[in-house]
Amino acid sequence: MKSKIGIIIGREFNERVRKKSFIITTLLTPLLMLGLLVAPMLLSTYSGDEQKKIAVVDDSNIIGAHLQSTDEINFIETELPIEIARKEHLEEFAILHIGKDIMSNPSDIRLYTNSTASITMEMNIATQVKMVIENIKLQQQDIENLPAIIASIQTEVNMQSFANDTSEDSGDKANSSIVATVIAYLLSFILYMFILLYGSMVMQSVIEEKNSRVLEVMVSSVRPMEMMMGKILGVASVALLQIAIWLVIILGAGYFIIPELIPDEVAMAVAMLQQGASPETLNTDTDMSLLQAIATLTDVGYLAKIVVSLVVFMTGGFLLYAALFAAVGSAVDTPQDAQQLQTPITIPIILSLFVMLSVINDPGSDLAFWFSMIPLTSPIVMMARIPYDIPTWEILVSLGILVATFIATAWAAGKIYRTGILMHGSKPSFKELWKWLRFK
Amino acid sequence: MDILKIENVTKSFANHVALDDVSLTIPEGSIYGLLGPNGAGKTTLLRIINRITTPNSGRVLFCGKEISAEDIYNIGYMPEERGLYKKMKVGEQAVFFARLKGMSRKDATAKLKEWFGKFGIEDWWNREIGELSKGMAQKVQFITTVLHEPKLLIFDEPFSGFDPINANMLKSEILALRDKGTTIIFSTHNMSSVEEVCDHITLIDKSRNILSGNVDEIRHKHGANIFEISYRGNEEALNGALAGICEIMESKSSLAGYNTMKIHIATDAQVRNVIDKANSSVEIRSFSEVIPSMNDIFIRAVNGNL
Repeated sequence: MKSKIGIIIGREFNERVRKKSFIITTLLTPLLMLGLLVAPMLLSTYSGDEQKKIAVVDDSNIIGAHLQSTDEINFIETELPIEIARKEHLEEFAILHIGKDIMSNPSDIRLYTNSTASITMEMNIATQVKMVIENIKLQQQDIENLPAIIASIQTEVNMQSFANDTSEDSGDKANSSIVATVIAYLLSFILYMFILLYGSMVMQSVIEEKNSRVLEVMVSSVRPMEMMMGKILGVASVALLQIAIWLVIILGAGYFIIPELIPDEVAMAVAMLQQGASPETLNTDTDMSLLQAIATLTDVGYLAKIVVSLVVFMTGGFLLYAALFAAVGSAVDTPQDAQQLQTPITIPIILSLFVMLSVINDPGSDLAFWFSMIPLTSPIVMMARIPYDIPTWEILVSLGILVATFIATAWAAGKIYRTGILMHGSKPSFKELWKWLRFK
Repeated sequence: MDILKIENVTKSFANHVALDDVSLTIPEGSIYGLLGPNGAGKTTLLRIINRITTPNSGRVLFCGKEISAEDIYNIGYMPEERGLYKKMKVGEQAVFFARLKGMSRKDATAKLKEWFGKFGIEDWWNREIGELSKGMAQKVQFITTVLHEPKLLIFDEPFSGFDPINANMLKSEILALRDKGTTIIFSTHNMSSVEEVCDHITLIDKSRNILSGNVDEIRHKHGANIFEISYRGNEEALNGALAGICEIMESKSSLAGYNTMKIHIATDAQVRNVIDKANSSVEIRSFSEVIPSMNDIFIRAVNGNL
């Protein structure tokens, strides 16, 4: 019998891709993500306009004069005694009362707010007061040339990190761990979302087909295994198409927008950095970590590795979980019944997310290594490690285990599916599923 | 020639036996009714013929050879509960199912247009199944079942859910397909459709084949020697004449003087004697054997009184 899997994949793909919801989410999600990045920036710019006035009652007569107004806070000194000031200055955001003994007793300071103060604002005020006190105390030491000494002491450290790879001739490549962290977060989260979302989509659609008895019509002309794989592969191709569109949008936007945003001088420095120039030779006053971040982000080889790994691990992880979801869908009549049976499937997905959070802090740990090998957690955990240049053999071994597990799982899921799709009525127990698995 | 032969098929599930040593033979070009109460095992048998499930023991022969995966191209199956994608457009859906049965997209589209024209439903092509009523969806399902012109068509309860007009149309389509040489199996509870349409039947009860054969033969064979006399004359007189030679089951008289009487004659040898006696006492208008309806036979068979 000729394989029908192509016809089934085609139907699954066409039906989903043509849905309005698919088109809308595919196009809107990148915009939404962009919005999430831009919105906080915009908010902080706008909220900066609103300067908070704080009345200062300075009983020490030392500190008040040194407090400096910023974009957020405007200090206004007042001559009123504190009791009256607290009654008079209700229009101001807060009244700061600096006690007489502030120099000897740092707790002798109070902030009376007329509305809630944010932690950042309180910290801001406390830090300013602390610095003023410290400065005054330093000056009281009567050291000669104090300002010059302080200026000569102040130092900023620009540490660069490199992948320790001696085999490469091109010299040490700078890699930015900030960029790696962000990418690791983003990718493993995308993977988590896709596996859960598209996996349960497979389950939903199996339940629907079972209820509408479409499966019964189809099962006479298509082998159940082909039906299941056709569905899984069809949904997988939809997921890949969505990712591909996102990548094109993001990389395309990056390709055209990033060069516009970067000054020529910085771009030159970045290019030199990418060619292996050591940082000392660069004549630039741009922040080193920013340069590294840009260098990493515009490194084509690095990006290609990330994109390929994303596609490979997403496909592998999705196929593995989708087979399990399909088996659960085939066994039940309603999504409510599926709740219990799908718990053992969702637990490793959620577990991977938790492990991922720790992996991002220490991608080389034993925990990270083992969870990126265990097939049920490996897609998400591995995706969190790949941005940090880990050995290629680890990636390949993990992938091999994943593929082998998928084949075994699909075989087992196919057996459950074959029996499940014709069973209606009571919800099966795990024991029954085990029995179906062993049917000849 | 027999298109389908089922030999000693047994199928058991975890808790019960669905089919117990069932054998039957379906002649080519016939309409074959599969009767039986709910849960008797009809659907299981149809699923085995469709290779959806496999029997524990026994064989299914299609055109003389053990049934194989290739044979599904020659079989069309319409399950009892209609199986169509609710969110998919009628035309695309029909093409999809046709392709699963091995037709090319082009052939399927051309054939479908033909059938849609025949049923007067051309304008449904771009509508979703979910928008159609149950009866409308059934028409679509019927078309997708017969489209690839299989040699054997299997309908599970084809008339359920159809209004009388559409049920009639379906019936005449089934007869037309039979006339073209297609063999048709259907399971049903609807006994009148059996008498009208079926050539042969098998009655399955409690997982076993309890009665098989040609519909007319079965009805005559299970005639219970019941006769009906319609006559003009005195009821008492007829009663008296027949007393002792047969059992009077029912007697009706009308004011117009046309009376009928139902009698049970114990042996065939007595029939002429009864007619003689009756003829001498009243004026006989007709004397006929009462042939049991399939409905009666069904009920008697299931109750074990056959």
